[in-house]
Amino acid sequence: MAGAPILEIAALGKILTGPQGEKRELFRNVSVQINTTAVVVLLGASGQGKSTLLRILGRLDRADEGTVRFYGRAAEETLPQEWRKKIAYVAQFAVMLDGTVEDNLRAVSVLHRKPFDSALARELMMKAGLGAMEWSKRAAELSGGEKQRVALIRSLLLEPELLLLDEITASLDTHSKQAVEQLLLDWHKTHGTLMLWVTHDLEQAKLISDDVWYMDEHTLLEASPSSRFFTRPDTRQARRFLQISDETEV
Amino acid sequence: MSNLALGCTLIFVAVTIVASMWQKLGLEKEVIIGTIRSAVQLLLVGYVLQFVFNTENKAWLVLIICLMLTVASWNAGQRGRGLRGIRWRIAAALTVTEVLTMGLLLGLSIIEPTPQYIIPMSGITIGSAMVVAGLFVNNMKREVQASGGEIEALLALGASTRQAIHTSLKRSVRSSMIPTIDGMKTVGLVQLPGMMTGMIVAGANPVEAVRYQVLIMFALVSSAALTSILLSLLSHRLWFTEDDRLRSIS
Repeated sequence: MAGAPILEIAALGKILTGPQGEKRELFRNVSVQINTTAVVVLLGASGQGKSTLLRILGRLDRADEGTVRFYGRAAEETLPQEWRKKIAYVAQFAVMLDGTVEDNLRAVSVLHRKPFDSALARELMMKAGLGAMEWSKRAAELSGGEKQRVALIRSLLLEPELLLLDEITASLDTHSKQAVEQLLLDWHKTHGTLMLWVTHDLEQAKLISDDVWYMDEHTLLEASPSSRFFTRPDTRQARRFLQISDETEV
Repeated sequence: MSNLALGCTLIFVAVTIVASMWQKLGLEKEVIIGTIRSAVQLLLVGYVLQFVFNTENKAWLVLIICLMLTVASWNAGQRGRGLRGIRWRIAAALTVTEVLTMGLLLGLSIIEPTPQYIIPMSGITIGSAMVVAGLFVNNMKREVQASGGEIEALLALGASTRQAIHTSLKRSVRSSMIPTIDGMKTVGLVQLPGMMTGMIVAGANPVEAVRYQVLIMFALVSSAALTSILLSLLSHRLWFTEDDRLRSIS
């Protein structure tokens, strides 16, 4: 739809049901939109529903209220499979598919019957610090950090339009984390992929983000350009989160 | 077997009750109920079979087979609580298995088209298919719990529900068939099947009894394969919600 935001979230809410049937509001009335193919970082304390929001956007979870539109098209109007081909979710705890590293890298081409871009896969593996890895190695035998990077590359090979990244560097060492950050920034530059990235690492957030969404008090409190969020956040809750005193103006 | 000899078999029940009382297992009531039920059920079946064998009306034969299919589907469906629609899918798989197996046995003149052959063979086929269907549903429940991450990873890569659950279905089909295949490998060496033993005890030529047992073993393995594969084809959507998310089943 011409002129529509790339991603539009309107009045989204999620209620969790406990084992005894008790209801708890995870978040409510989340409304925000993205108009450019930016790198957006989603910040907030644990338990605010950031990962669930990402899973709802990837249609792996269901919202209890509200709508999500991608290029003006509502999620319910799009087949889930078509939606997920455009909007890829990369989980915090990577799961390897049965088989070898190569089987995992080839997964997208097998699923969607398209040629496997071996050169691109090799280049991404190299950039992620996995250039020396044997592709014939059993994927289940990889370390946690290796699995995380292979899972990310597997999703990049889908060439999605929106990449949902759920704390994907949390289990990586400093060197690997930097490699992944650079890999994704390069990918963003060359492919123009919109990225929504959940992280608890404020230094990483400052480095990679164009915009920041901040969740607190079970809703989305702020959506602002990164430069403004990290120096002059609008809300008292964000200032407290960033440990900026209320009087400080940077 | 004389009535006196049949009556003497109650000594085995008495031994069980005494053992239960001695070891304070508290199984006496269960043993007595089981004894009465098995005797009444088997005697009733004996009279029903006698009637069906002597009647010219083929509707009785069809009715008995339908009854077998209904009870078997209901029983195997107990394993699939929480899976709406599993019972009629099991019923469909068992019915197709029974029709194909009997069609081949009768069409190739392997057995005679009389109730004396059709009813026992149907009972063995449907009974075995019921066990296989129950195993398949149980295995799938375990698979979906254990491999939920893998299924979701595939969905997140834009896989269809069938593609996402294919490996779990394959594993469940395999493991539900293993007892039947193992039974084929060890028959005669580890256990003497009930029907063959019964024929020999009743005075049949052991070689003739073995020939029927071979027929049964081969028919059982194909019915196991048919049941589990049909059920995997018919039931794959039950593990997903309408919007193609993995369903959580307790």
